[in-house]
Amino acid sequence: MGNKQTIFTDEQLDAYQDCTFFTRKEILRLHGRYHELAPHLVPMDYTNEPDCKVPLALIVNMPELKENPFRNRIVESFSEDGMGNLSFNEFVDMFSVLSEMAPRELKAIYAFKIYDFNVDNYLCKEDLEKTLNRLTKEELTPEEVQLVCEKAIEEADLDGDSKLSFADFENMITRAPDFLR
Amino acid sequence: MVVCVKITVRAYLVILCVTEEQNLVKELVALSTQDRIWAIRDLPMSVDEKKHIRWVLTDKQLKVMSFVVSVILGTKLKVQCLFSQSFRRCGYNLRSARQTLELWQGIMKEIGGTFGTSVLSYFVFLKWLLMFNIFSFLVNFGFITIPLLVFDPSPNIPPNVSFRGLEILTGAGYFQYTIMYYGGYSNETLGGPVKYNMQLAYFFTIAIYMVLCGIALIFSMASSFKKNYVLADPSSNKAWQLLSSWDFSITNERAVRQRKNNLRESLSEKAQRRQLTLSEKLKHFGVYLGFWLLSTGLAVGCGASIYYLYAANWSLLQEAKTLLVPFVVSLMNLVVPLFYSLFNKFEHYSSQRRQIYALVVRNVLLKMSILAVLCYYWMNVVAKKFSCWESMVGQALYRLVIFDFLFLMLGSFFGEFLSNVIGTRLLPRLGVPEFDVARNVLELIYAQTLAWIGIYFSPLLPAIQIFKLFILFYIKKVSLMKNCQPPRRSGRAAQMQTIFIALLFFPYFVGSLSMVAYTAWRLTPSEQCGPFRGLNNTFSVVGVWIDDLGGIPGSQWVVWIYQNVIRTIHGIKNNSEDYLFILYLKL
Repeated sequence: MGNKQTIFTDEQLDAYQDCTFFTRKEILRLHGRYHELAPHLVPMDYTNEPDCKVPLALIVNMPELKENPFRNRIVESFSEDGMGNLSFNEFVDMFSVLSEMAPRELKAIYAFKIYDFNVDNYLCKEDLEKTLNRLTKEELTPEEVQLVCEKAIEEADLDGDSKLSFADFENMITRAPDFLR
Repeated sequence: MVVCVKITVRAYLVILCVTEEQNLVKELVALSTQDRIWAIRDLPMSVDEKKHIRWVLTDKQLKVMSFVVSVILGTKLKVQCLFSQSFRRCGYNLRSARQTLELWQGIMKEIGGTFGTSVLSYFVFLKWLLMFNIFSFLVNFGFITIPLLVFDPSPNIPPNVSFRGLEILTGAGYFQYTIMYYGGYSNETLGGPVKYNMQLAYFFTIAIYMVLCGIALIFSMASSFKKNYVLADPSSNKAWQLLSSWDFSITNERAVRQRKNNLRESLSEKAQRRQLTLSEKLKHFGVYLGFWLLSTGLAVGCGASIYYLYAANWSLLQEAKTLLVPFVVSLMNLVVPLFYSLFNKFEHYSSQRRQIYALVVRNVLLKMSILAVLCYYWMNVVAKKFSCWESMVGQALYRLVIFDFLFLMLGSFFGEFLSNVIGTRLLPRLGVPEFDVARNVLELIYAQTLAWIGIYFSPLLPAIQIFKLFILFYIKKVSLMKNCQPPRRSGRAAQMQTIFIALLFFPYFVGSLSMVAYTAWRLTPSEQCGPFRGLNNTFSVVGVWIDDLGGIPGSQWVVWIYQNVIRTIHGIKNNSEDYLFILYLKL
C-alpha cells in the first residue's frame, strides 16, 4: 500500500479511479491478474503506456469467465478490433462494467451488445437463436428453438419490425429486477 | 473570487466546443465536479475514450484557467485545481480503507459463484442483521451501561451467590444481579461532573432505538420495493426467460450445467400445462384445506402446550427446570417446520412461488402463536407474581436466545448433514439436499424478534445476538459447502428479498414494539429493582421530567407538545382498551 508501487504513475491511477468503478487497490490487483495471463507479453511497468494485447484464448480461460456461456461474446464486445484481443484499458473496462458497482443502465447497454451477435444494433431472430443455444447446451430441437425465439420477439417487440431494438430491450429489462446482479 | 473565475472559465469553454465529442464535453462542463465524475463513469465508452474526455476537461480547464488567472491574479487558481484532485484522491483512499474493513467479502463471492444469487441473499441478510445488532449494542452499551459502570463499577451481589458454569445456559444466579438485566440498573441521577439521569436515559435510549429500527426497516423496504417489485407479467415470460433470467454471477461448472438443464426444461414445458378436470381440482382443493387445517392446528397446539408447560412448571429454586420451556420451544421450532415441508411434498402447487408463500405463512403462524403465548404469560402472570419480574422475563428471553442458537447449530450440523447422507446413501431418489432459503431466513427473523422483545428487559442481549450471528455465518457456510447442491430452479431472488424484509417488519417488529410499548404503558415496574422502581408506570418518567422542565425558561414548547400528545393519546385510549395488545395477538 502507500506510494511504493511502480507499475503506474499516480496520475494514471487517478485517471483509472475517475473513469472506472474500481479503487486503487483493485486496479493494481487487476493488473496482477492481467500480467498472470501472459507474463511474457505484459510488462510490469505501465508508466509509459505500452501497447500490448492479450489474445482471446487466454482471457476466456480465466476462472471467472470459464463457465460463462457468453464469454467469447463478452470479450469481443469490449475489444476495439472486435476479435477479442484486449489491452489493459479494455480489460479494466470489461470488469468495471461487469462489477456490481456499475449501474444497471450501463450493463443493459453492454448486454445488448453482447447478445447482438451480428453487430447490427438489433437483436434479430438469428441473434436470439444463438443466445438460446448457448444457454441450453443446444439440446432443444430446432423447432422448439424457432418457437421460443418467435414468441420472445412477439412479446418484446414494441415497434413491430420483428427485431428488437435497444429501446425494446431496455423496456423489457426494466420489468426484470433480477437482471445482471 | 474563485467562483466568478470558475463561471468565466465555463463560459469560455462553452464557446470553444464545436464537434460532437466537444458537445459531450460541453454537457459535462456544466456539471459540478462530483457529478461530472459520475457522468464520465456511466458513459458507455471505452476507458481510452473516457480518459481522453477527462483529459480534455482538466487540460482545457487548466490552460484556460491559468490564462484567465494570469490576467487577473497570480497563481492562486492552480492551487484550486490541485485541491479538487487531492480532495478526490482523499475520497478514494477512504473508499479503499473502507473496503479493507468489509466483512466476509471473499466468502460471499465464493458462495455467490457456486450457488447463485438466491442462496447468497440469505447470507447478505445475515450480514445486514449483524450490522444492525452491532449498532444496537453500541447504542445501548454507550448510553445505558457505560454511565453505570463508570459511576458504580462493582455490582451489588448478595454474599452467598457465586459464578458457576450453569449461568451461561440459564442466565439466572450470578447474572441476575449484574448489568445483564433490567434489575441491575439504578434509578438515581448519577452525580459527578455531569448529572446523568439513569431513568430518562434508559427510557429514551430504548424508545429512540426502536424508532430508528422502524425507520431503517421502512427505508429498506421502500427502496427494495421500488427497485425490485414487478407486477407478474406472464405474457413476457418467454422473452424474460431467454434474455434476463440467467444468473451471471455463477462461476461453478456444476451450477451452470444445472441452470442450463432447468432453462431447457422450462422452455420446452409448454405441452405439460393441460387443464385440470373438475374432480382433480376438487381433490387438490380438499388436500389444500386439509393440510392448512392441520398446520394451523399444529401451530395453535404448540402455543397451548407451551402455556400449560409454563403454568405448571414455574419454580424459582430448581434452575434446571427453567430450561425445560426454552428447550421445548426450540424443539417445536425445529421439528414442526419439517412437518410443513413434508406436507408441501404432498400438495400440488401450480407455481413454485405459491409453494414458498404457503410454507412461509405456515411458519410465521407457528412462530407468532408461540411468541404470543409466551408474551401473554409474561405480561399477565409473571409480572404479578414476582418481585423483580423484568429480570425474570429478561432471563427467560436469554434462555430462549441461547437455546435457539444451540438448536440452529445442531439443526445445521445434523439436519443438513443427515439429509445429505439420506439423500446420497439411503434414498438416492431424494438426491442431495438444496439449501432451504425460506426456512433459514425465517429462523433469522425469529432470532431477531427475540432480541427486539428482549431489549427492554436485558439491554445487553444484542451482544449475545452479535456473537450468535457471527458463529452462525460460518456454520451455515460450512454446512452449505459440504452438504448442499446448487438450487435446481432459478427463483426470482430480488422479489424474495423484498418479501423477507416486509416479513421482518410487519408482524415481528410491530409485535415486539407493541409488547415493549404495552410494558412501558400499562405494567407497573417492580418495586425493588431496576431504573423505574417506585413509579406507577414507566412512561410516567417522562411526565416527571416535563414537570421539572416547566421550571426552566425557554422550554415551554416541549411542555406544550407533550401535553397535547398526551391529550390525544388519552382520547384514543378511552376508546380502545388494550388496543395494542389485541392487535398484536390478532397479527
